[in-house]
Amino acid sequence: MIDDLGRPLPRPVRVPERIVSMAPNVTEILFALGLGDRVAGVTRFCDHPPEARALRKIGGLVDPSVEIVRSLDPDLVIAFRGNPLRLVERIGKLGLPVFVLDIGEGLEDLPRLIVKIGRITRTEERAEELADGLRRRFEAVDAALSGLRSRPKVFVLLYGQGLWTCGGESYLDDLIGRAGGTNVASGLPKKWALYKRERIISDDPDVIFILSRSSADFSTGKAWLSGTAGIGAVSAVRTGRVYELDENAASRFGPRLADVLDRLAALLHPERFGGTP
Amino acid sequence: MSRGPARKAFWAACLLLCLAGFLVSLLAGPVRTTPGDLLRFVRNPDAAGAAIFLDLRLSRAVLAFLVGAALALSGAILQGYFRNPMADPFVVGVSSGASLGAVVAAAIGFEAAAFGFSGPGLLAFLSGLGIVSLVYALSLRRGGFKVETILLTGIAAGALASALTSFFLFMRSDSYDQAVFWLLGSFQLADWGQAATIAPWVAVCLAASLWLARDMDLLALGDETAQSLGCPVRRVRKAFLAVSALLAALAVAVSGVIGFVGLVVPHWVRILIGPGHRALFAASALAGGTFLLYCDLVARNLLAAELPIGVITAAVGAPFFLYLLHKKR
Repeated sequence: MIDDLGRPLPRPVRVPERIVSMAPNVTEILFALGLGDRVAGVTRFCDHPPEARALRKIGGLVDPSVEIVRSLDPDLVIAFRGNPLRLVERIGKLGLPVFVLDIGEGLEDLPRLIVKIGRITRTEERAEELADGLRRRFEAVDAALSGLRSRPKVFVLLYGQGLWTCGGESYLDDLIGRAGGTNVASGLPKKWALYKRERIISDDPDVIFILSRSSADFSTGKAWLSGTAGIGAVSAVRTGRVYELDENAASRFGPRLADVLDRLAALLHPERFGGTP
Repeated sequence: MSRGPARKAFWAACLLLCLAGFLVSLLAGPVRTTPGDLLRFVRNPDAAGAAIFLDLRLSRAVLAFLVGAALALSGAILQGYFRNPMADPFVVGVSSGASLGAVVAAAIGFEAAAFGFSGPGLLAFLSGLGIVSLVYALSLRRGGFKVETILLTGIAAGALASALTSFFLFMRSDSYDQAVFWLLGSFQLADWGQAATIAPWVAVCLAASLWLARDMDLLALGDETAQSLGCPVRRVRKAFLAVSALLAALAVAVSGVIGFVGLVVPHWVRILIGPGHRALFAASALAGGTFLLYCDLVARNLLAAELPIGVITAAVGAPFFLYLLHKKR
């Protein structure tokens, strides 16, 4: 098999027994494929499903410990492009089988990613089922939204570190489009970008989603929006269309994105989903 | 002559500390290992032990030692070169210049390799040498140097280089870890290949500086005096500048920018064994290697997450630098 860096890795003959996952979305997909009891190590950010929290931690995304990875004696290490490349290579130099995966740029990449992980872990059937289920859920949203006449302007706020939002290269941008909205920051050629306050005012978004870790986070973020000069007057804040979006689910390129898509679509087009949210 | 016994004690202490440092480096790490585990591995080598003890921990300790030796030697040379106890590859901007070269090489995809160096390593050397020559030219005043001019020129040149480094890193927005590496240094990626690439060069530089140490002693008397005593001042100066830039670039190419090692170590050594350059160079290399070995131990074991090593060396070095500045007044 060829990984997303273009490097070959012989396909295992049977299901690997000791898998190290170097990213939260990979951990989530491994559990969804029923491989939870074969995951030997995860990052300190891997908190979903809750069982993952009890597993051995190899460190973070950019600072995993090569030594701990080696000590787990894995028969498969799944890394992703957010891990420092040279660190991933260092792990490979120890003779461990490392498979590197990209984060997708759009929703369509998610079923493909799951099928790929299914192939490298020899759980092809389960992976195809999971991928098909997701595709059906995406198509159901497409069907419900067919022939839309209006596409509300959406601003996504990652509250807490300035006005961070998702740019055109982010899969969230694609998600907003699929949910029948238009991301105001779509033109920025980045995954994540720092947005200017003036731009939000001139963009005048109809709906604002705040990526929050807790409802307390959401309330602070919402209060900040309505209390900030200029932003308090944009349509979304005036009409009360400021919604919470689970940061944990939305920031991981995993199966829970289907739930996020459902929620986005229902909030952007309540008329198509039977009533007001 | 009265320094004889003190010198012997110094060398013995240094060697002892160095060996102890290597031993602790083998035992300490995120994976818990006991001296018993190490003994069992020595008697009965197995693949898992080889990976952790030799491939990961020992290679890292050796690399940290080599880089520490290179930086301290580079600092000892620059201090003699500028006749200024506050020069070091970090302060005069060589390290930042070298790191800029490496980052630019990575950004433009410069892949040429020569003498065992990668593209980034080569550009690191050239830009390190460029910066130190620039600082030299700018702070030269009618044949002499003023302490303030060298320090300020070096600091300004270094700041400019690290600003450009940050700029190039920022342009490739996926590079948080790269930024930490090039601006604060790390041995996280150490392997035997890197140690083997720089070891011969560090040895050559050490040999060259020991060979020229006598001339450095003469330079301390002033260029004119040195010239009249038969020292080919211009050639010696050029050689030393190249050697110090090469040492700093070697260090930067494998471990990023690590500050203050080249400043504090030659100082300690000079206080303990006196200003003769031959002994100073050799002892600085040994002491610098040992010092960085211990700093790396702290960097990788203090917290659960690994600290950039520049954080540790600066935490030790910056107060010392302040003390020196204060004492000067």
